[in-house]
Amino acid sequence: MTAHEWFVEQRADYAIRSLDEGDRATFDAHLPNCPECRAEIDRVEAELAWLPMGLKPVAPRPGFSRRVIQEVLDEPRRPARRWLMPAALAASLLLALGAWLAGRQQSRSLEAELAALQGRTAALEDTLSIMKGAARVLQANVRMGGQQGGLVIFANEDTHRWNVVVHGLPPAPAGERYQFWFITADGMVRGSEVRLDPKGHTMFTTGMPPVGGTVMGAALTLEPGGVSSGPPRGPTLAHLML
Amino acid sequence: MPRHAIRRPQVGLSRDASARDSSLREASLRERLVARDEQALVELVDLASPWLLGLAQGMLSDQDEAEDVVMEAFRTVWQNVTPATDGPTGLMPYLMRVTRHRAIDRLRRRRRRELTLAQAAPESRSALAPTEPNEAADPGWGVHSQVHEALEALPADQRAAVQLAYFEGFTHSEIAARLGIPLGTVKTRLRLAFGRLRTTLAGLKDWVS
Repeated sequence: MTAHEWFVEQRADYAIRSLDEGDRATFDAHLPNCPECRAEIDRVEAELAWLPMGLKPVAPRPGFSRRVIQEVLDEPRRPARRWLMPAALAASLLLALGAWLAGRQQSRSLEAELAALQGRTAALEDTLSIMKGAARVLQANVRMGGQQGGLVIFANEDTHRWNVVVHGLPPAPAGERYQFWFITADGMVRGSEVRLDPKGHTMFTTGMPPVGGTVMGAALTLEPGGVSSGPPRGPTLAHLML
Repeated sequence: MPRHAIRRPQVGLSRDASARDSSLREASLRERLVARDEQALVELVDLASPWLLGLAQGMLSDQDEAEDVVMEAFRTVWQNVTPATDGPTGLMPYLMRVTRHRAIDRLRRRRRRELTLAQAAPESRSALAPTEPNEAADPGWGVHSQVHEALEALPADQRAAVQLAYFEGFTHSEIAARLGIPLGTVKTRLRLAFGRLRTTLAGLKDWVS
């Protein structure tokens, strides 16, 4: 077998990422210099492109789509603000050169902004509907790092959805994270990771967990950062019983 | 395609009609994503999330991690989407590939960090178990059914190897250790299985591009 025949044999395995680490590194080094292998790997990927759809779909949890939109759109906007002033200067020059073109562009931009705002309004209306229909509001104080914060749950018993508010907490210590739990008849069931904004607040909507039986309450813990399954391992910061 | 013309195809459409509709939708969504149309992102999330969550959750067996991975995939597409003329890869294949790669990265980190190979997922997670049409499966059910049939048509030993390699992110050596068979046998099974799948799924190629 020539050296290149070895690569030819491994192409499909490389494309589906089943090569062992050493073989993969060898292939990585070969690939930039071999358009033939690159083309064949692209072909394998295209032919198997729909294979992931062999797995059954899963309906998103309530609030998931809203979180995706918010986080994806917020990400690129932060650095964009640093360019606001130069961009404004450039825009002024462009305006001087062609006001009618800028007007058209502004119109399109406003249209996109309006569409995004409509999406966010719908998400907020969804959130408010849960709060308005909440049969129970539970609250617990949370003391963390010398700060006094809180955990509030608006439980809508018609839709079986909760709006969970966490506020006034410091950032989780390095290597740790805040974790929300359901207290069920069968024990603790992991809910969402609690990701705070820079002011130490967050709010999320959650449905009831698919396992664990009757939900009896909820808890907030501080968990080791790398662990995302299994029972609670860190200290309990708050717990609430229905 | 104007925005108001986008519609959800019904479950049960013929594959050609469903594929054509999906292709038009993707072309339109892609153009609008390139133009930074945020409403297009909303529609893409609505369209793709059930399938991406199904993929990530089937691989990771963890709802929170699956959501993180899908979030990363949408972020990647939003930041890197290019006009259709720049490459033949459709939005859904792109999203699924990013999601699968991120899930594999997490699975391998998880195994390195927490588990010995012998402890890692000792039972098959049956991610490929049969399922029934539901709301989350619209659109895309036709493709799911065909892919599922193609996987079911594989001999059991080849299907098991595909499950481990493709949907659980195990490498050749890990599969050999896990199944207690020689490395060469693993490679042979995977080669035969993916050869058959590539042939069987070739009919979906037009929809991809």
